[in-house]
Amino acid sequence: MNQTVSGPILTSDGIPLKVSLKKAERINKIRAFLLVLPLLAFILITFLIPIGDMLARSIDDRQINTVFPKTFEVYKKWDRQDLPSEEVYKTMFFELKDSEGYSVGKASTRMNYSKSGWKSLLKKSKRKFKKIEEGPYKEKMIATDKRWGDPEYWKALGQMVDPTTMGYYLNAVDLKYDSNKNVVQQKENRRIYNKTWIKTFKVSILVTFFCLLLGYPISYLLATLPMKYSNLLMICVLLPFWTSLLVRTVAWMVMLQQKGVFNNLMVMAGLIADENRWQLMYNQTAVIIVMTQILLPFMVLPLYSVMKTISPTYMRAALNLGASPIHAFYKIYMPNSIPGVSAGCLLVFIIAIGYYITPELVGGKDGQMVGNWIAYHLKTTLNWGLCAALGAILLAVMTVLYWAYNKIVGIENIKLG
Amino acid sequence: MRKTIKAAFFGLISMAFVGSAIADITFVSWGGAYTASQQKAYIDTYDKGGSITVENYNGGLGEIKAQVEAGNVTWDVVDVLPDQAITGCDEGLFAKVDQSEFINDLVVPPVSDCVVPQIFWAYTAFYDKAAFPGKKPKNIKDFFDVKKFPGKRGIHTWANALIEMALVADGVKASKVYDVMSTPEGIDRAFAKLDEIKDHVVFWSAGSKPLELVSSGEVVMSLAYNGRIGAAILSEGKNFEYIWDATVLEQEYLVAIKGGNEAEALRFMAHASTAESNAEQAKYIPYGPMRKSSINIIKKGEPWFITDSGNIDIMPHMPTDPKVLKRAVIADPFWWADNGAEVHERFGAWKGS
Repeated sequence: MNQTVSGPILTSDGIPLKVSLKKAERINKIRAFLLVLPLLAFILITFLIPIGDMLARSIDDRQINTVFPKTFEVYKKWDRQDLPSEEVYKTMFFELKDSEGYSVGKASTRMNYSKSGWKSLLKKSKRKFKKIEEGPYKEKMIATDKRWGDPEYWKALGQMVDPTTMGYYLNAVDLKYDSNKNVVQQKENRRIYNKTWIKTFKVSILVTFFCLLLGYPISYLLATLPMKYSNLLMICVLLPFWTSLLVRTVAWMVMLQQKGVFNNLMVMAGLIADENRWQLMYNQTAVIIVMTQILLPFMVLPLYSVMKTISPTYMRAALNLGASPIHAFYKIYMPNSIPGVSAGCLLVFIIAIGYYITPELVGGKDGQMVGNWIAYHLKTTLNWGLCAALGAILLAVMTVLYWAYNKIVGIENIKLG
Repeated sequence: MRKTIKAAFFGLISMAFVGSAIADITFVSWGGAYTASQQKAYIDTYDKGGSITVENYNGGLGEIKAQVEAGNVTWDVVDVLPDQAITGCDEGLFAKVDQSEFINDLVVPPVSDCVVPQIFWAYTAFYDKAAFPGKKPKNIKDFFDVKKFPGKRGIHTWANALIEMALVADGVKASKVYDVMSTPEGIDRAFAKLDEIKDHVVFWSAGSKPLELVSSGEVVMSLAYNGRIGAAILSEGKNFEYIWDATVLEQEYLVAIKGGNEAEALRFMAHASTAESNAEQAKYIPYGPMRKSSINIIKKGEPWFITDSGNIDIMPHMPTDPKVLKRAVIADPFWWADNGAEVHERFGAWKGS
């Protein structure tokens, strides 16, 4: 047994120990990776790919370039003053006539975003063009439908020359391209998105503020009351949380409408006249009231879990050392509860900014938020590019807020429990 | 590459539903009382083919498109709105059908080559008789006249049908509405008319809401889907009255999905679009058949509507009663496909201003 060790240490089957260890480690690493792989794949498929796809859609503008490539080649030469030349008409004519129905349908949907009317113009023309054998195409096309002779339609195509576009983002803030791709303001009676953005932020900020205003004392009570009372109170907070969103929204309708419970009580108490009942439902006020109630648990729960960890001895010590109750609260309790406040506010604000169903049901005339417009374009106009742009802006706003928050408060200060 | 990934992805998803494809055909509709009426009128009476599975959906072409692109079609017959019927046919999602049997029997020509007729549903104004003990509103002008009939009005949160009604209330003939709407001044005119009731409206978006608004007295009159008003009168005994003026009729069709069990689907659709079948559906729901001869069958067969306490005359509830049709606007899905987005944005600005 007096063998001397020369060279690397070997394992019993003759492989150097270093290699063998590395191998074992690698197997462990692969095993660990395989364990997280399902989650990774899940996140990739359900989260990252859709978001990537959405971002791509918001700038993608190829639906029509691929259908009318030659038309766009000759279109670029047009001076965009009067009507285009016979050549443009002719190319358009053949590309439309020879295309498959499938691609034209999609292209016409896209063209319709720039100028209302393209959709039916292409559809009708495709059928009628079959009967036209020879030129001059310009006159014959205008004869089949006088819209072919309207320069506005041709000018609208100028926005779609490039395969990518910022047009959807412009539309999302009430701007648009003119025919020369200059950025101009949207027509006055279509300017709706900027107002909606402002309204969305206003509602979200107010809802967050009211949630904090109402949630802070409740959480304080929850954290400081003896167990048997605080449990009961906790149930009061959680019960609505477990109730269906729709049920709660509809319950508020019953409460707040003009012939509803609240107005009836006010009239009965003689505080308002029967014919001057307050309009509390189907407007922005309603959205703020209902959303505050619905989102309150998202404020209370993180606040409560943070306040629970604040030891009552801190306050006692402060009072003992001569601080007034208000001063002690301001100096001791509040700074300690900040992680919960910020978690709650961030949570409520993020949920509020994308809210859809409550504004839809109780928003009425001026309570619609960005989420409602996204839903409209998603379902009705199929303008998914604009939906994507609106969504991407929301995402960007959230990212900026998060970044600012991290700079000012520090993300490590956030606490959910 | 992206396409293959997409196809594989949807393929995987639709694999999960292969089990349900054993049934001969799958019929997809909107659910509720409407699907129930189709079940009784079309499926229970169908004896020429195999079994039929019924599924519900929420409209739109998303699912259909995914199925066709993945080459794994599990829906065979789908109940669609006219704009979907147009787009789906254009994009090659639906099979072409032989329309010779009914094409000359329809109130309006079919919107595409891929559809067989079902029903008309309608936006209609109505009120509670108790709200007007004296003079009662008779037409859409009265709906827009808050001086003559003071009180709030219930309207929906989107622009469809409102533009048409506003124009008729402003004196445009029902048959000329879309000519006027196709000019920019026409839309201005409609919005000017809407301005007159703006301070007196309550908005609704869910179909059951207007009935509640009128019942509770929150509004004195409202627009609503005619089937909902009919159901409230017929089965709940509500004291509602229709204002059958400038009623806006929307179409509803059946289509066969390409790549599904097309032959069987088309055979079923032929059965579900005969004049007799379409009339049969009106026994269970107050929506109007699109076929003229169905109306005649119903008229001859009155009382036609089946309730627990015996049959009731259904013609007074039908949006396709010739008397109603004369004063009605039949919604033009092509106009709305062109101008819907623009008008809706303007409507949004109008609401919020």
